[in-house]
Amino acid sequence: MEIRLEKTEGLCRLGIEGEMTIYNALDIKKALLETLDGPARLEIDLSGVSELDTSGLQLLVLAKKEAKLLGKELRITAHSQATSAVFELYNMCD
Amino acid sequence: MEIDLSEARQTFVTESIELLQEMEGALLRLEGSPGDQETINSLFRSAHTIKGSSGVLGIESVERFTHAVENLLCKVRENEIRIDKKIIEVLFECRDHIQVLVDCASSGAGLSQGLLSREAELVKRLGSCIGGRGDAPDKTTEKETSGAEAGEGRLAATNAWHISIRFNGDLFRNGMDPASFLNYLAGLGETISITPLFERMPAAPEMDPEECYLGLEVDFRSEFDKKTIEDVFEFAREGSVIHILPPHSRVEAYMDMIRSLPEDFLLLGEILIKGGALTQHELDEALDMQKGEDAGAEQHKRLLGEIMVNEGMIYPEVVDAALERQKLSQASRSKEARTMRIDANKLDSLINLVGELVISGANMGQHARRLKDGWLTESASIMSRLVEEIRDNAMRMRMVPIGETFSRFNRVIRDIGRDSGKDIELKISGGETELDKTVIEKINDPLMHLVRNAADHGIEMPEERASKGKAPKGTVRLNAYHDAGSIVIEVSDDGRGLSRERIFKKACALGLLSPAQTPSDSELFRLIFEPGFSTAEQVTKLSGRGVGMDVVKRNIEALRGAVDVESDGRSGTTVRIRLPLTLAIIDGFMVGVGGSSYVIPLDMVVECVEFSEAERRAANRRRYMNLRGEMLPYIRLRDFFGTQGQEARFENIVVVRCAGQKAGFVVDDLYGEVQTVIKPLGRVYRDVKGIAGATITGNGKVALILDAPALMEGAGGGATASNLN
Amino acid sequence: MAKTIMVIDDSASIRQVVNITLKKAGYDVVEACDGRDALGKLTGQKINLMVCDVNMPNMDGISFLKALKASQGYRFTPVIMLTTESQESKKQEGKEAGARAWVVKPFKPEQMLEAVSKLILP
Repeated sequence: MEIRLEKTEGLCRLGIEGEMTIYNALDIKKALLETLDGPARLEIDLSGVSELDTSGLQLLVLAKKEAKLLGKELRITAHSQATSAVFELYNMCD
Repeated sequence: MEIDLSEARQTFVTESIELLQEMEGALLRLEGSPGDQETINSLFRSAHTIKGSSGVLGIESVERFTHAVENLLCKVRENEIRIDKKIIEVLFECRDHIQVLVDCASSGAGLSQGLLSREAELVKRLGSCIGGRGDAPDKTTEKETSGAEAGEGRLAATNAWHISIRFNGDLFRNGMDPASFLNYLAGLGETISITPLFERMPAAPEMDPEECYLGLEVDFRSEFDKKTIEDVFEFAREGSVIHILPPHSRVEAYMDMIRSLPEDFLLLGEILIKGGALTQHELDEALDMQKGEDAGAEQHKRLLGEIMVNEGMIYPEVVDAALERQKLSQASRSKEARTMRIDANKLDSLINLVGELVISGANMGQHARRLKDGWLTESASIMSRLVEEIRDNAMRMRMVPIGETFSRFNRVIRDIGRDSGKDIELKISGGETELDKTVIEKINDPLMHLVRNAADHGIEMPEERASKGKAPKGTVRLNAYHDAGSIVIEVSDDGRGLSRERIFKKACALGLLSPAQTPSDSELFRLIFEPGFSTAEQVTKLSGRGVGMDVVKRNIEALRGAVDVESDGRSGTTVRIRLPLTLAIIDGFMVGVGGSSYVIPLDMVVECVEFSEAERRAANRRRYMNLRGEMLPYIRLRDFFGTQGQEARFENIVVVRCAGQKAGFVVDDLYGEVQTVIKPLGRVYRDVKGIAGATITGNGKVALILDAPALMEGAGGGATASNLN
Repeated sequence: MAKTIMVIDDSASIRQVVNITLKKAGYDVVEACDGRDALGKLTGQKINLMVCDVNMPNMDGISFLKALKASQGYRFTPVIMLTTESQESKKQEGKEAGARAWVVKPFKPEQMLEAVSKLILP
């Protein structure tokens, strides 16, 4: 798994490549919290995620909750087929 | 979905035969050391595996019977039953019966009445070993919790199931992903609503990313029964809180469920309404009955807002080109198991093709040399090296160690010992020696005969042995080793040995010898391979029916092998079988006599020397020559095969060694090494002495492959090379 | 991208049944004949699920499971344990080692497929 963190003026963009699964949960949590540490606008790009499991989804929910708590805007800007399939299973897209 | 298991059935048969072989080995070991736990385990495992596989493949006859055997073995393994001679005997018989059942399953034959009553008898004996009844399958009673539970109260209007789960925190760590449950559930019916709940998840610093905080509230329409729906979550049941409410459950049941859950009452109520499990009216009614719990709509709204955070995470317009990336990360193809079973026919046809390739390679090489084209010659030689490698590899695939064949005789020896009251031990050496699988298959029967002979006729009764000063326990030995391109298999015993007088008398009676003759031991003993020759005074059920040794000899010769026997009156008998390593291809040395070509197996060729004029004259009367002070018997192939035509001015002698003897073959021309594929001779030529087969040479001509051992018999008369000085 | 399932059983015919069944359902299958063999084959490639017999020579299913749970790369891999009804005590042992999914032998191919699809996405 690879994590890219781009911080530009007022925007922090996190790109996750590879597996977003329980095996990488610890690293992903760290990366997400780092992202949340950044500016007020946050974006997560999931287009490079080859596999997403429920632990990964749970971390995205955590990030959302945390962003809300911090009063920041967090957007997921792109999905891969693997991620959207899981979101659909959980009825988390509309 | 149609799943074809016929291939797996074939594997089952092969595998069972191996396992039964192991069981036999284990039982034999147990006889020696009945308490050996490792052996008992292995015995159990074999039976267990056969039972398991037959069950999976639906071969009930095998499964049923093996189950009974496994029961006993299980008790033995748990040390509830001590193993003794009686149990071992029953297990031997059961093993044999399983074999019969597997054979039936393999051939598709039904079970005869005889087999069924045999089974009944064995099961009874197994039962008596266990003590008490053989096999009482325990019944599990499934308590059926019916859908709409009976009881007072109003029933909910919904026709959907409601499933509520709070997963075990260790779920992810246990390798499970609730997403797959949902996916599976989706296949059972129509999902109306799914609400994931992460209310249990603490704030970021305390949140453990490997812990599962998920809860689910699902409304779901399905024709399946409660058990099926429950079983969707069967692997997650442990440590999770699961409520499954069938359609039209009592409203109170929903309320009870909500109350038992950790999340906010109103939040859950709202979810139930949203999913259609309850109507607003039903909920309100229930709430009315709820005293003092008028928590207020404000909080209610806030909580609902909370869960909406979980939604809307996806933006359909950006479900995009990521698909491309997906295709890139193709998993590397999975590796197959390290060994694989191959249909022997496929291998044979491969080897046949390789054989043809060898011929055409040789052909090309010859053409290349004739054209004197350097590049072509170079390519041809590279190709022929590669073909040689392919050939060697292909041949190696056919090679199997003989040990397994040998160890089958443990049982034979044991049974003979038991039936005859003799104490016999089988000693095996050289089991790792490899030879062609076809040879191994074909050598089994002759070996069986020889081993039985050795145990039955060779080994004496313990008292007789004691009186001769031998150890009471007799030994039959099986040994194998490689020798000059052949494999030698020895069957020996330390029994009474062959009796010169008896064989002599019998030979005279059969007219093979006249009473005046005084044959040497080896000449005399060789006669036991003549048809109708059996000197056993007592015909036992195992051997000594007068057919036998001649059949053994014929079988071995059919494999291009040779057999001889060695014995002395005290220390027993050794039968030595000499076989070619393989049947298909040989490295040969090609020679010419007159216009014909012959091939001598290369392994046997020691050297080639000129057959000088002087030697020729000197050797005219005697049939041997002086090779650097050694007496070398020889044979002129021209004479032997009655070749017509002008005698060559210069002749050569090819020195050949076989079975510790040397002899010379006189030929006209020496052509050098060739690789040849042996083609069997037609029926007309099969009995021609001195020819083992034929082959097609690179230039398309036929060459005959010499049967060197047979020729040498003619040349030296069995004389060993001795020193002239 | 097909998911890869490893089948660990000392019975070649059971392996074959599972293999045929799973391949037919579109999974890639890797076979191992006992726990030791299986560990030897876990060299970094992705395994999405394992089907593992309990009673095997060299290294039995329970020991294998323990080793698996202790490994970095495969500790969260779901494992379906194959068992027979007569192995209740083994089941307890297996539970302690972290086994959660069981399929009882003799099983029908469809049962195996059901168990697999409850554990991993297609």
